[in-house]
Amino acid sequence: MSRKAAALLLAIAVVAVAAPWLSPRPPDLQEDVAGGRNLPPLTRANAVAVAPHRTWIVTSMSRTGAGWSFLRSGARVEVSDAEVVAPPEPRFYLLGTDGLGRDLTSRLLHGARHSFGIAAVCVLLSLVLGSAVGSAAALAGGWTDMALMRGVDALICLPRLVVFFACAAVLPPSTLLTVLVLAATTWTHLARLVRSEILALRGSDLAASALAVGCSRARLVLAHLLPATGSILAVTAALRLADTILLESALSFLGLGTPAPTVSLGDILASGREGLAEASWIILWPGLLIAAVVAGLRSVASSFWTASEPASV
Amino acid sequence: MIRFAARRLMAIVPLLWIVLTLVFLLMQLAPGDPFDVEAQPGVSPGASAALREAFGTRRPAAVRYVEWLGRLATGDFGVSPSLRQPVLELVARAAANTLRLSVLALALQFAAGILLGAVAAAWRGRWIDRLVTSGSSLLYAVPSYWLAMVLIWIFSVRLGWLPASQMRSLDAQGWPGPQRFGDALRHLLLPCLSLVLPAAAGVALYVRETLAAALRRGYVRSARARGASHGAVVVRHGLRSVLLPVANLAGLALPGLVAGSAVIEVIFAWPGMGRLAYQAVLAHDQPLVLGCVWLISLTVLAGTLAADLVCAAVDPRVREATA
Repeated sequence: MSRKAAALLLAIAVVAVAAPWLSPRPPDLQEDVAGGRNLPPLTRANAVAVAPHRTWIVTSMSRTGAGWSFLRSGARVEVSDAEVVAPPEPRFYLLGTDGLGRDLTSRLLHGARHSFGIAAVCVLLSLVLGSAVGSAAALAGGWTDMALMRGVDALICLPRLVVFFACAAVLPPSTLLTVLVLAATTWTHLARLVRSEILALRGSDLAASALAVGCSRARLVLAHLLPATGSILAVTAALRLADTILLESALSFLGLGTPAPTVSLGDILASGREGLAEASWIILWPGLLIAAVVAGLRSVASSFWTASEPASV
Repeated sequence: MIRFAARRLMAIVPLLWIVLTLVFLLMQLAPGDPFDVEAQPGVSPGASAALREAFGTRRPAAVRYVEWLGRLATGDFGVSPSLRQPVLELVARAAANTLRLSVLALALQFAAGILLGAVAAAWRGRWIDRLVTSGSSLLYAVPSYWLAMVLIWIFSVRLGWLPASQMRSLDAQGWPGPQRFGDALRHLLLPCLSLVLPAAAGVALYVRETLAAALRRGYVRSARARGASHGAVVVRHGLRSVLLPVANLAGLALPGLVAGSAVIEVIFAWPGMGRLAYQAVLAHDQPLVLGCVWLISLTVLAGTLAADLVCAAVDPRVREATA
């Protein structure tokens, strides 16, 4: 079960990384808004150049005498060979197009790359920051511990939504801002976890023997204690990654994420909301992709946890 | 117990002050103010200047901060520059609207979650367990606002059974009571389902996991040995020990009661807290943002406190550890 989930995640990750090479067209290309809008999945269309810089996206194209006959935005049009400046090119829309005639396959690939990439960077940042603060608090103890942890408590109390809204009001939306804000609201939980894990390990034989052979405190944490918390950190990181993917897509959905032309999965969902009545497939793909990745991450995390947990607990 | 509660209550005030000051400072960095929109063709350039003068948005930040704190202490939240209404009134109305949605959602979420989780744990490994577990894992992974759009597509666009936005029909004011109630209920259904389904799935998975662990414990085995029936074992011995972690989980969900889900409220045009805060941010409406933050932070802190108190009341060990 989880082996399959891991394979699925790996495949999605590879495809997302390779998005620029796999996607058939640029994600924001609008060849013909009127003719190419809201084409359902698996549409076979043709691009006909009717003027040097004017392309029509047409369907059901056929040859008539000395010209072409085709459907464009629901109307049958006939053009003679003289009017067509270049030979028609085939266009295949695997997942359909959106309300502006953009290819959803390309948008989904680029959106996955952006959304999952942002979430991964954010969780990595939080892991580093959370481990640093958590282990510093655990090792220092006393006042430093108290001050750091009260600070973390105060930050956790800040409603996530309020932080996002306040930041969005202050700064122009950008990828960097999204990553920083997501990381800023994620690391605090990891800091608490690392602190409690290291506190529990501090009195263990592992720590005592490392100190006995003259290990410095920094080395004790970096080389011995943090690696010992590796499995719980990995599990938590995977769960956080799932949450962050959900959150990032919600932010871009509200228009508070990365601005266009960068595509996030939330942007595709927002464009699908506008065309819900006539093009319901737009919201289908990003929603299914997010659900698959989130479910996959949770399944892998939980079976990893069962496998690494001592049987007696 | 009372000392424990009092100490925790005292800690709320400074935290609240820190949060509000942070947001106040953040808002000072924001470019533009709510009266930028007044500068349009057809509006005299003096209009926005006069409004700025009247609302005092151009005075030094330090002066406004001190004044704002002073008024806050007396319960005066000022007037929202973008909506031209008292902030307290706006926030109170939005919070009431959010509560209508979230109280129902929270109750349903825990009722359905506990029931399904208990059923799955009681018949662990059977088809019903597999059905609940796989269904819940799938629902729990779905973004709630995506589910909202799918539900809108099915029930509003395709079938046309349920309204897709707002809290009531436009002409509902003059309807008789029962009809108005039915109308409100119909408007409540879709946003409530979008909130409940993923959350209930999460609760069900959690209850199944903890209950299944509890049912493997020694005291459950001895209860069985004494001849207790399967149902009695699950309900009396298993579910009771699951109560504490579930109460904790409910406490964590409490803050969301008033904060609401901004995405769901935006999708369904539900005039609640999340949507109000979102609009306030988009309009650079500082008094309104601060009013929203005040209420949301207060409920987050109160919710956490309530969760801790419930745990302390249920489990004496928690009380002793922190007293």
